[in-house]
Amino acid sequence: MKLTESFRISWRAITGHKLRSSLTTLGIIIGVGAVIVFMVLGGAFEANIAQDIREGNDEPGMWVNTQQESSGFGGSQILTNPIYTESDVAALESIDGVDFVAPEANKRAIQLRHGDQQQTGQFNIQATDPQRLDGDLSAGELFEADDEIVLPADAADIVDGGLAVGDEVQINYDGGPTKTFTVVGIVEESPGGGNNRIPTAGYISLDNYGTTVETPDGDTEKAYASMIVAAESTDTLDETQAAVLDYLKTDSDAAQLKGDDQVIKAQTVDDAVDQIGDIIDQFTFLIGGIAAISLVVGSIGIANIMIVSVTERTREIGIMKAIGARKRDIIQLFIVEALILGVIGAIIGVAVGLGIGYLGATGIGWPMVYPVDWIAIAVVIGMTVGVLSGLYPAWRGARVDPIEALRHE
Amino acid sequence: MRHEVVWMAVTETSQQSPSATTVELQDVRRTYHLGEPVHALDGVSISLPAGSFTAVMGPSGSGKSTLMNMVGCLDTPDEGDVTVAGQDVTVLSGNERAKLRGTELGFIFQQFNLMPRLTAAENVTMPLVFHNDLDDGRRQRAETLLERVGLGDRLDHTPPELSGGQRQRVAIARALVNEPSLVLADEPTGNLDTDTGAEIMELFEQLHEAGRTILMVTHERHIAEHADRIIHLVDGQIEEIEQVGGER
Ligand SMILES: Nc1ncnc2c1ncn2[C@@H]1O[C@H](COP(=O)(O)OP(=O)(O)OP(=O)(O)O)[C@@H](O)[C@H]1O
Ligand SMILES: [Mg+2]
Repeated sequence: MKLTESFRISWRAITGHKLRSSLTTLGIIIGVGAVIVFMVLGGAFEANIAQDIREGNDEPGMWVNTQQESSGFGGSQILTNPIYTESDVAALESIDGVDFVAPEANKRAIQLRHGDQQQTGQFNIQATDPQRLDGDLSAGELFEADDEIVLPADAADIVDGGLAVGDEVQINYDGGPTKTFTVVGIVEESPGGGNNRIPTAGYISLDNYGTTVETPDGDTEKAYASMIVAAESTDTLDETQAAVLDYLKTDSDAAQLKGDDQVIKAQTVDDAVDQIGDIIDQFTFLIGGIAAISLVVGSIGIANIMIVSVTERTREIGIMKAIGARKRDIIQLFIVEALILGVIGAIIGVAVGLGIGYLGATGIGWPMVYPVDWIAIAVVIGMTVGVLSGLYPAWRGARVDPIEALRHE
Repeated sequence: MRHEVVWMAVTETSQQSPSATTVELQDVRRTYHLGEPVHALDGVSISLPAGSFTAVMGPSGSGKSTLMNMVGCLDTPDEGDVTVAGQDVTVLSGNERAKLRGTELGFIFQQFNLMPRLTAAENVTMPLVFHNDLDDGRRQRAETLLERVGLGDRLDHTPPELSGGQRQRVAIARALVNEPSLVLADEPTGNLDTDTGAEIMELFEQLHEAGRTILMVTHERHIAEHADRIIHLVDGQIEEIEQVGGER
């Protein structure tokens, strides 16, 4: 029996029982729909974060930091040990393709005050090289003295009317003293780097930072936990990144100062996006996988309803066998029917999933993404589930004895 | 006899020589074991020459349907030999018997047994679907056959949209679509009123004239008298073979 024939006949059987067919596909629709919704939302969340990261980091460069090797879920931990010495900074600056190196040191603040207005919480105050803020300034100028501060726009907005160039702001360090700074500049976007989990509330001169370490050569030098290495061009970023890493892992002071289970990383924006993407993917797959379990329920639904339909159509099967159908023809008919139901269920499921995902993503304000691979995978899964759940009913149908089937009314 | 002329044209492909035998049963036995063994067929030997029209009569439970199932290659004997269209049915596998049914036999049933969701034309071509890879001309063939049974204007009706007599005509067209060596009919008029039954028998007569080999079970003597001869079955045995002239 030709496949096209069985499609035609099976299609009649499906359209002949519209309600039953719809109920059969419902399980697949829900299963595939749920998987697609989670894939859309996961992808949209990821795209949103990637967009945020890229927006603040349009200059080519990389963020050098130290991470604890961990095999655990959720990525590795970023350390705050000061291991990158002044000598390392100088050496990196002489590498081909490196524009400048801006070491950073983060101090935790718990209160910002301006006049009688204050804001309490967790803030990062980052001591860094002013060069890296160059180009991001939307007002004023870069800091020079150690009591000058550049604020990100959102930090400037924490007081009524906003802080402007020339205003004074008192910063209360965590467990430490309070220091008064004069606002000299505002940057529109945070230039990235630093600890993303706590908002950066200000950039100040490295003169405010004095942590030193003993270098392997026996000298005492200032050292930093992380730094921004700006590259000269996007085109050669990969080579520059390789050269930076090569130096840091072999000849640098950092290579000796770091712990055995710690790794030096030089992450470009793409790396950061990939890394966050990987973490989100893990969660998405986990949740999507749970949603996929509902497909098993869907397949049991198809099998169940098809077994009923075999019983109901015993007479038709008997007729077909009497006029020449072989076992394999009957099997083919039922499997094709299950296959069609599976594919239809998957397609509707994809449409429903995309629709709900779209509403969800745009509702939250994330960009819509179309998980193309998952759409393909969902359709294939729908087909597979259909065929698998059709196997047993088909086998039952093939065993129908035409004499018995035609005798019973 | 308005369809006669065209009818002949379609069916004259069955050109076995008059002496050839289409079906041969030799001492066939079929016993059902439900408590007491029931000998549904108890040593039946018959032969159906090509082009013959044979009726089977007998009381209920005498084994008529069992005999039809044997000849129709749906069942195999416990003992004895069955040869259909030159093939020894007892040694064939299930699939081979299915193929024989699909290519050499045409079935007409009391309950019509059409596929309820397929149109008349699709029902007619159904046997070709399983054993004929060419779909060119299938629809044409169904149209020709349905026209010949007087249903040229009902091609795309489904069985529930047809009367009993019309359904049986569709079934007759279906039984002929594969140019069978043998047409089997189990009480073809059993579910029809007298007039409609007579119309159906008219079609059978035409088939017979066109050289088809026919085996038909019936309860009614006037129906059986359309045949060349009547086999009387009682308790699974042939009681008598009666020659009748046919009404032609
Ligand atoms: N599957 C079966 N299991 C047990 N006994 C059966 C089976 N099929 C038929 N029989 C028995 O075999 C005998 C012949 O049955 P069959 O159906 O051939 O009779 P029939 O002549 O066609 O009767 P009717 O005119 O009522 O259709 C009956 O006694 C019947 O009970
Ligand atoms: Mg019977």
